Amino acid sequence: MTRAARWVALAAVAVGLVTFPYWSAAWETSRFATTVLRDMLVFAIFALSLDILVGHAGMPSLGHAAFFGGGAYAAGIASQRLGTDQLPITLAAAVLVAALLALVIGLLVVRSEGIFLLMLTLALAQIVFAIAFQWTAVTGGSNGLAGVSRPTLFGIDLSAPDRMYVLVAATFLVVSLLIWSLMRSPYGRALTGVRENERRMRALGYDTTRLKLSAFVVAGMIAGVAGALSAYSQRFVSPGDAGIGTSVQAFVMVLIGGAGTILGPVLGAGVVMYIQRVLSSAIPVSETVLGLVFIGFVLLARQGIVGLGRAAYARVRAP
Amino acid sequence: MSAPALEVQDLHAYYGESHVLQGVDLVVRPGEAVALIGRNGAGKTTTISAIAGFLRPRQGTVRINGRNLTGAPAHWVARAGVALVPQGRRIFGDLSVRENLAIAGRPAANGWDEARVVELFPSLGRRLGLRGDQLSGGEQQMLAVGRALMRNPSLLLLDEPSEGLAPMLVEEVGETLVRLRATGLPLLLVEQNLGLATRVGQRVHVMNKGTIVFTGTPVELAAARDVEARYLGV
Repeated sequence: MTRAARWVALAAVAVGLVTFPYWSAAWETSRFATTVLRDMLVFAIFALSLDILVGHAGMPSLGHAAFFGGGAYAAGIASQRLGTDQLPITLAAAVLVAALLALVIGLLVVRSEGIFLLMLTLALAQIVFAIAFQWTAVTGGSNGLAGVSRPTLFGIDLSAPDRMYVLVAATFLVVSLLIWSLMRSPYGRALTGVRENERRMRALGYDTTRLKLSAFVVAGMIAGVAGALSAYSQRFVSPGDAGIGTSVQAFVMVLIGGAGTILGPVLGAGVVMYIQRVLSSAIPVSETVLGLVFIGFVLLARQGIVGLGRAAYARVRAP
Repeated sequence: MSAPALEVQDLHAYYGESHVLQGVDLVVRPGEAVALIGRNGAGKTTTISAIAGFLRPRQGTVRINGRNLTGAPAHWVARAGVALVPQGRRIFGDLSVRENLAIAGRPAANGWDEARVVELFPSLGRRLGLRGDQLSGGEQQMLAVGRALMRNPSLLLLDEPSEGLAPMLVEEVGETLVRLRATGLPLLLVEQNLGLATRVGQRVHVMNKGTIVFTGTPVELAAARDVEARYLGV
């Protein structure tokens, strides 16, 4: 396929994705499918943001939910306290809070690596979870934050399910394109360099600590966007959004799909959400299926679905 | 006279409790190529690490073009004009050859750029789109040197560039370094390969147990049979 044909195909897929609720309207399951697809895309954004750390900068984190939850709470609280449903305001609050959290946590963790990085990010994210759980006056504590209003943008009310979906899908496309171009820029190449050999990058004059911190903040901000979209979609924020379960979920998505790619985390989010949302209503052991799928990928296909696809493609093309 | 490209004075460094460098003195003058040779464990790589900022010396000074950079972090040393071709080459396998060069780029007027590096290593020119890990060992070594040159350094450190290369390729590396020397770029070459070190180095330091035990020209070294026998095992 030529370059132009590929872009046309991608654009067609993008348009199809954003308009899904409209062309699927005749289906009996259209509403359910729209909801599931919306939540898949929210988590795809979240997984993509985590992959900046895991797949590109080589900083595996088990605390990414802190920024997702932080963004979700910030959007919810901003809309309640300020009595506004303006998307630019609540989304800005989410991005700002997530960025601040990422900056603080990032400053504490960027010098560590491997298992220490995993444990530190886990522990610090649990502090954010504890605050969400116990600061009842602001966050609603264990009851969560209920009644988050859906946003309006330029006077357009986005509260109807189809419009909410379009907001999520459009944001997903923007974020994908943003991460794609960022990772192909000199900045993204420098992150790859840090992942491969941090010492070498220092010897080439790069301040790798600052590079890693910036990646942490960018990833945190995008996770905050995902969190805000989750809050609007569910009209609810629970402390679990900032908890270990959410962090692990994103990590599993990245690993199943394939780290270091755009498609991987998206496919991973699709597989995980499909098992959790669709399969769970058909069979009672869907969580076990998810566990087995995960173990299968870790043991047999470290590069995830994208890696399997690449291997198959290489085999077909080989003479 | 202008300041030396590199001046190391009375450098002491430790790995934990073991006293690895015990007072190293070393000078690379402008436009000069100096070789540092010695057996495994003599402290050659440690010396390079301490100069490049990977290891903090406990005592002594490192001056680059007259600037005191003792114990400065590696990226400061790099920004002061020092480029290192590390042991084992360490190119970025996931990046293309072109990206490997670009990531190091520090443009300078009439300086090194991709075109000039390709001119020096024509075979890299045919590999610009390939990933770093698809190159042969010899090509990786060329890329590692090319990447260091892209920094437009005022001092080039090379840590055992002959390691793991076939004799013919070592020959080629030698030729390249002699050509670089002719451009006036100051070099500090750490080597175990005596032939390569004496071909490139205008002065040779022999290192043993963390100190410099001999300094002289290659001719003087050849005459000092006892030094070769005692410290180099030839």
